[in-house]
Amino acid sequence: MHPKETTMFRWKRLAAVAAVVALGLTGCSAASGDGGNSAGTLTIGQILQPSTFAAAQSNWANESPYMQAVYDTLLTADTKGELQPGLATKWEYNDDKTQLTLTLRDDVKFTDGTALDAEAVAKNLVRFRDGAGPNASYLVDMTDAVATDAKTVTITMKASNPALLTYLSQNAGLVEAPSAFDSADIQTVPVGSGPYTLDTAATVVGTSYVFDKNPDYWNPENQHYDKIVMNVYADPTALLNAIKGGQVNAANTLNNNDVAQMEASGFTANPLELNWAGLTLMDRNGTVDPALANVKVRQAINYAFDKDAMLKTVESGFGTVTTQVFPERSAAYDKSLDSEYDYNPAKAKELLAEAGYANGVTIQMPSSPLLGTATFTLIQQQLADVGITVEYTEPGNNFISDILTPKYPVVYIPLQQGGDWELIQFLISPTATFNPYHTSDDTVNGYIATVQNGTEEEAAKAAKDLNKYLVDNAWFAPWYRPQSTYVTDANTTAVVQPGNAVPYLWNIKPKA
Amino acid sequence: MLRFILRRLASGVVLIVVISTIAFALLYVGGGDIARRILGQTATAETVAQKTQQLGLNRPLYEQFVDWVSHAVVGDFGTSWFTGQEVIQAISSRVAVTLSLVIGATLISAIVAVLLGVWAARQRGWPDRLVQIISVLGFAIPGFLIALGLVIVFAINLGWFKPTGFVQFATSPSGWLSSITLPVIALAIGGIAGVAQQIRGSVIDALRQDYVRTLRSRGLSANRVIYKHVLRNAGGPALAVLAVQFVGLLGGAVIVEQVFAIPGLGQVAVTATNQGDIPLVMGLVVVTAVIVVVVNLVIDILQGFLNPKVRLS
Amino acid sequence: MPLPDPQLTPALEERAARVSLFRKLLKNPVGLIALIFLGLLVLSAIFAPLLAPADPNTASLQDVLASPGAAHPLGADSAGRDVLSRLLFATRFSLAGALLALVVAAVIGVIAGLIAGYFGKWFDSVSSWLAGLLMALPGIVVLLAARAVLGPSMWLSMAIFGVLLSPAFFRLVYASVSAVRNELYVDAARVAGLSDARIISRHILTVVRAPVIIQAAMIAGIAIAIQAGLDFLGLGDMSVPSWGSMLNDAFAKIYTNPDLMIWPASAIALTCIALTLLANVMRDELERTAGPVKRRKNRNRAAEAPVVKAAHLSTVGMATISEEERRLALEQPAASEPGEIVHPVVVHPDPEDGGRSSTGNPFGEELLSVRNLAVGYDQPDGSIKVVVNDVSLRVRRGEVHGLIGESGSGKTQTAWSVLRLLPDGGRVIDGSISFEGKDLAHATEKEMTKLRGAKIAYIPQEPMSNLDASFTIGSQLVEPMRVVLGLSKAEATKRALGLLERVGIPNPQRTFDAYPHEVSGGMAQRVLIAGAISCDPDLLIADEPTTALDVTVQAEVLSLLRELQAELNMGVILVTHNFGVVADLCDRVSVMRAGRIVETGPVRSIFAAPEHEYTKALFAAILEEGEARGELVVAQTEKEGLR
Repeated sequence: MHPKETTMFRWKRLAAVAAVVALGLTGCSAASGDGGNSAGTLTIGQILQPSTFAAAQSNWANESPYMQAVYDTLLTADTKGELQPGLATKWEYNDDKTQLTLTLRDDVKFTDGTALDAEAVAKNLVRFRDGAGPNASYLVDMTDAVATDAKTVTITMKASNPALLTYLSQNAGLVEAPSAFDSADIQTVPVGSGPYTLDTAATVVGTSYVFDKNPDYWNPENQHYDKIVMNVYADPTALLNAIKGGQVNAANTLNNNDVAQMEASGFTANPLELNWAGLTLMDRNGTVDPALANVKVRQAINYAFDKDAMLKTVESGFGTVTTQVFPERSAAYDKSLDSEYDYNPAKAKELLAEAGYANGVTIQMPSSPLLGTATFTLIQQQLADVGITVEYTEPGNNFISDILTPKYPVVYIPLQQGGDWELIQFLISPTATFNPYHTSDDTVNGYIATVQNGTEEEAAKAAKDLNKYLVDNAWFAPWYRPQSTYVTDANTTAVVQPGNAVPYLWNIKPKA
Repeated sequence: MLRFILRRLASGVVLIVVISTIAFALLYVGGGDIARRILGQTATAETVAQKTQQLGLNRPLYEQFVDWVSHAVVGDFGTSWFTGQEVIQAISSRVAVTLSLVIGATLISAIVAVLLGVWAARQRGWPDRLVQIISVLGFAIPGFLIALGLVIVFAINLGWFKPTGFVQFATSPSGWLSSITLPVIALAIGGIAGVAQQIRGSVIDALRQDYVRTLRSRGLSANRVIYKHVLRNAGGPALAVLAVQFVGLLGGAVIVEQVFAIPGLGQVAVTATNQGDIPLVMGLVVVTAVIVVVVNLVIDILQGFLNPKVRLS
Repeated sequence: MPLPDPQLTPALEERAARVSLFRKLLKNPVGLIALIFLGLLVLSAIFAPLLAPADPNTASLQDVLASPGAAHPLGADSAGRDVLSRLLFATRFSLAGALLALVVAAVIGVIAGLIAGYFGKWFDSVSSWLAGLLMALPGIVVLLAARAVLGPSMWLSMAIFGVLLSPAFFRLVYASVSAVRNELYVDAARVAGLSDARIISRHILTVVRAPVIIQAAMIAGIAIAIQAGLDFLGLGDMSVPSWGSMLNDAFAKIYTNPDLMIWPASAIALTCIALTLLANVMRDELERTAGPVKRRKNRNRAAEAPVVKAAHLSTVGMATISEEERRLALEQPAASEPGEIVHPVVVHPDPEDGGRSSTGNPFGEELLSVRNLAVGYDQPDGSIKVVVNDVSLRVRRGEVHGLIGESGSGKTQTAWSVLRLLPDGGRVIDGSISFEGKDLAHATEKEMTKLRGAKIAYIPQEPMSNLDASFTIGSQLVEPMRVVLGLSKAEATKRALGLLERVGIPNPQRTFDAYPHEVSGGMAQRVLIAGAISCDPDLLIADEPTTALDVTVQAEVLSLLRELQAELNMGVILVTHNFGVVADLCDRVSVMRAGRIVETGPVRSIFAAPEHEYTKALFAAILEEGEARGELVVAQTEKEGLR
């Protein structure tokens, strides 16, 4: 649910080019790094440019390093995903979790010299909700944010939101100086309180972003470098070349084809399972394709895929086979569920026959060459083997738009595995973005309500039950969790951030 | 001559207007759900609707076009939807980079093509075939493979150049030269093919002219006659090819800038076109059209300089 | 692109384009190989369903990236599809796509070009402008947008690409058609009452056909390359296999399975190479056919085409000699080619005192002595075509030696070989050319460059085509003087102005500053004479210096030549077909025919008593027509030989 997928969607195709270099380089020794941090400079290879520096419209995930360089967030998360203090030192809910009180530090100043106070924080929260940014929905339940005193902000909610605190450790929690709100340059010239400031003179928008250390930063522990350069490598070949030529210290990667080459160049691969790949069986109501309303058809689809072979073929074996959309770290995750739909074409045919489709089913699906043509061919073949005919339409640029309109009963697109509530809001709830037919199931809704309002134990149990229910009822047909790889050079270490495409900025450090 | 230039300028303006109208229509009609593309798959339908409203995309197309034109005529192309940068700023900070690549590649391909073309035209026989085959290969091998080959050999294995990036001339002239050498060569190689063939043909034609013998009978060496007189006469058709070449190289820069991560127009064009950043794409279309019109005008004036009959009529 | 000669009848052009070009392609090894390759490609595309071992789209997880083997002769791709089958079907779709782009481009471009070029008017300006528009449109934006609106069909992309390419055909056809639009034969057809449609289809289409075919081969190559490029950018059509989509698929696996890339990459590269080479061979063959024709057009007034005519000399000779001559000739041991007939040269003796020039002074030392000169041209088949044979002549200082003969008799070839400026492929194959004691036949190019201009100068026949239209007259005079005499720019300019005045140009400065197209033919010839004498040569070679001029101007130029010759005391070789000129100017004359000198001696002696049949025939022709321009029977035969 972060732009990582968009990125992958857009650029995965181009990633193939990088392999050409890989071949050309077979057997040649690694280039010696010259982009080292001797002068206290960290150079990061980014796969996306920041879409904006305005906090209210900001993105996260692959864009989080840009934001974390210039802004602070109200809360932060450690490398286990546990919430930690940020600008707020204390946070407290009322009993029904509809009111959150944040206590702020009083020693923080924006880089324009003005103080970061509760007033500024409240304004930022409201602006984020109303800013029509990609994640504005994070705060859609917030009725208001008020500064009760200089260091206290009270957020009132229409309903409890279990992910609210997580959102506040991400882009919803970014705090921008109110003095910048009316600036004409707000999109390109950030004014925050973060550990670094953007050097607009040295920056080439869209290509290279240069950040200088903020000498007055309140938390010097998070400043590991005097200077940070973030170069955008839209093309995976260019990225691989930059890595080979030692022009970056750390970088996110676009696919697993190049990992071996990068390791051969002296880089360390830091793996993370971020997404799940497989089919989203959206039309569970049978709106456009009545066959999908039948749970046996959906289960048959699950049985039809040889997930191990798919993982090996599509992701070079980097990843883990699964049947669940919830990540391993989630309370909802249940390892035993992963063997529920072992490859069984005979069983799939049987189920189809039981469902009354002995003569086969025809399914409409959207395709996109940007997601790799082989994958679509393999989907077609695997389903054809059990008697399901897939007919593809290619919507081009409107791929996502057409999925969500909605026009198709089933779609293949790798999606991110966030926290439980985020995931529910994105994939499962009747109003979720990727539930475009608004499938509403009383059992599901009941579990969701418990996750939202129950105690921690109740919520965990409900999530687990929900997950099992979704797997049993085949809402999705996941195949595996592909590995994402963040690489670092010999002088740099990074600790990956669960649920985020790249490590948090302060977790990228010089090697001791 | 002045009237000629004015007429060409007027037709150039009409050309730019027509191109931007067509491009605008195509981009919007083909744009689909633009706000969704800007916000990505994570945004909710409500946010998308709000964004559509915010950008005025729910207005009738002609209204949006009139709005765009009224700003564009005063040089205001709006703000990029995907980076928030002013379009005019995004383009002006990159146009010099791309032009230095394309002009450099045009010059190099022109020089090499002249040498190859003259060699082939004079020797005929096997050098002629060799030049033909080299030209065909340069044309048939995709540009990105050539670029990659250069990076692998000269930047990564030999370490003579940086594999990616661009240094401003003002920052360091030598750094600038080193940063554009490989991209310029990569661009030029594909271009040499067509021009060399054209030069070869023109030189063969020109060598058959009677004045070549007469000039040589006056004691001028073959080289002098070829490089001063024959080439000048072969120059007209070759210049026409160079003009087409220049426009082609603007396109070629797209791929080369991607591979070398050079912040030029091509790079921003790929990103903007892929994202559907319509204000930026429209700005790029207009700027490209202006460059094309200006280049063609310059070529026409050069043609006049080369051919006195054109100049004086 | 050589322009077709309007003087040829359309039928001839048609034959040349259709029959002989195709036959020549088959004879040319490169053309043959390219044709065979493309032919096989087309066949495999047509019979793909029969040849392919499997369905090209059937994937199989078990066979993913399978190695070549019994089941998959070329292995399987990343989705387990059979590579050979995909390659065969991809050939089908890639070729069909390229063909579609080609047809669209050709139909739009050729039709619009014909109409614009033939009718002109508003359609001309509108379509030219549209062509400019198409060429200025950013193709990638058009294709992206079109794809978004119309869907990812390869056929649509290729059709749109065809539209974008149509200006290439348009410009070509437009240029050719507007060039011939006002030619005589088109006018004649119009006067004869042929409809425009008929004129276009019969006369104009034939003119543009050959260049269009060549352009088509190039465009097809571009379309195939672009198709692959579109696939690479992810704009491909997943529903049909194509070389681009195969290449695309192979890229992703190049590290583990690099061999997957070989097939589509070589298919694209070889096809592009075959198409381009084919286009080049076709162009070369057309150049070979049209080149000489073009030359004739340039010189149609003088009707002299040395290369072609030379090429037909031996045939000409054979056709016109009697059986007895043949028998006699066969007994001559000097024949350089088997079957060639050698005639004894009629030599008139010199007067006792060695002769005197028209001014009455005795001739000076011997400048040039040509002995047994033979000139030949290398033929593509490795043989040599002999155009000048066994020619001997000498020129003393102050002496004017006329070379007379009809077109193609080898007189110009002789003159050029003294300058060592024979056209491509021509060279001295026998004999010696001794100039001031130096053998020019074996001199290096560097030595020749030193001699030319400074010692031996040349006045050409056609004044206009012998001046470089791109430079002012002055600069063309100044440049050699600076190079040869080492003068400064100012000195050379001063001298050039003096020379222009000397050759009788009324306003030297104005002519000096003028471009060649701004002066008359007579003026231009005076300029060329000034250029020839600018470096004080000892020997002047004048190749029909008055032929191209009006009769009144001819006399003036001749008298100028006579004055200058006397003033500078030069030796002169005067090539002409005009006995009047010979009588007027020459001290000696050699009559040439079919590459040989048939009669030579002092002018007075030959005029008084011509002995050779041919010389007599030439004199007879003067008596009938007043001038030896009339084409003799021989020349007539020769022309037919050419056709």
